[in-house]
Amino acid sequence: MKNQPVSQPTSEPPKPHPALEGARAAIGLPVILIGVTMVGVGGLARDVGYPVGAAALSTLLIWAGPAQVILFGSVAAGVALPAIALAILVSSMRFLPMTVSILPLARSRGSRRWQEFLAAHFVSMTTWVEGLRRLPDVPEERRMQFFLGFSTMIIGGATLATIGGFYLYTAVPTAIGAALLFMTPIFFAASLVASARRRDEWTAVVLGALLSLPAFAVLPSGADFLAVGVVGGSIAFLARSRREPAP
Amino acid sequence: MSGAVIPVELWPYLTIVLAGFLPTEIWRWLAVLAARDLKEDSPFLHWVRLVATALLMAVVAKLLLHPTGALASVPLWGRLSAVLGGIAVLFATRRSVISAVLTGEVILISAGMLAR
Repeated sequence: MKNQPVSQPTSEPPKPHPALEGARAAIGLPVILIGVTMVGVGGLARDVGYPVGAAALSTLLIWAGPAQVILFGSVAAGVALPAIALAILVSSMRFLPMTVSILPLARSRGSRRWQEFLAAHFVSMTTWVEGLRRLPDVPEERRMQFFLGFSTMIIGGATLATIGGFYLYTAVPTAIGAALLFMTPIFFAASLVASARRRDEWTAVVLGALLSLPAFAVLPSGADFLAVGVVGGSIAFLARSRREPAP
Repeated sequence: MSGAVIPVELWPYLTIVLAGFLPTEIWRWLAVLAARDLKEDSPFLHWVRLVATALLMAVVAKLLLHPTGALASVPLWGRLSAVLGGIAVLFATRRSVISAVLTGEVILISAGMLAR
């Protein structure tokens, strides 16, 4: 039937390029959510007197909403550069566990070193949550390009929203402002709950919420997230190994 | 390093690279090194993923319990019922995130109007 197939047998209809498929998957709620966040960041950059190029660059390079808010807020308050850097270093620590946990999932056989660094750069709350949800259904050899395409669409939309916000964002009525700011927590709460399937995943979600109350009361900001993550995640991990075999 | 040597127009860009990009990116770079030999199904990776999940729930809790800006104008009961209502709809709709987000928003806006 076949004479020594060199490439993979193509019995299925041809699929679009995985990067294109990823980009298409980003259109919708994920890109809307990040756009809403970044419109505000663009307005913040303008308010501190930064040029529009710097606003766009902050989204492309920093790619972390909270860090960008800290940066522009600190610049406005006249905080010294090393102090800003230290505050952002602490607030961005979450990227270590987030990136470590998604890279092995996104990695394809034969993915290049530069692709891994680019994928790591693209990690944000949005791409992490969506990546964990979508990547397991993507064939392994297509995952890296899927994730890069997906993230490029997200970060591209976010950059455009930053530029748009720079020119257009003015004070919105309080009710609308509250609804926009609520997008982030409701989206992530719903996504994290929607992704939880097994007992250990449920435990991590529930403990993450419950442990926050004492952690916020006694720990400084930054350390509280890390403590909740490590304690909650570890208890959840024990819940798995005691009661269930490895997945 | 002083403003006399570096043109003042470049300061915003330098600030973004030195105080924003590097302190954030270093964690992602470290993660590439740490993840180098990790297999997708390793127990350590599983633990890290659970840590990240709990950590992000804490970020969500912070945004809800200690909101900034306009969200603070909605009372705590309003914010909490909006997120719980959204999650209830999540289960009623076979985990439709968009339905949960829309429901949460409707509850939040209603609560904001009631509280006024």
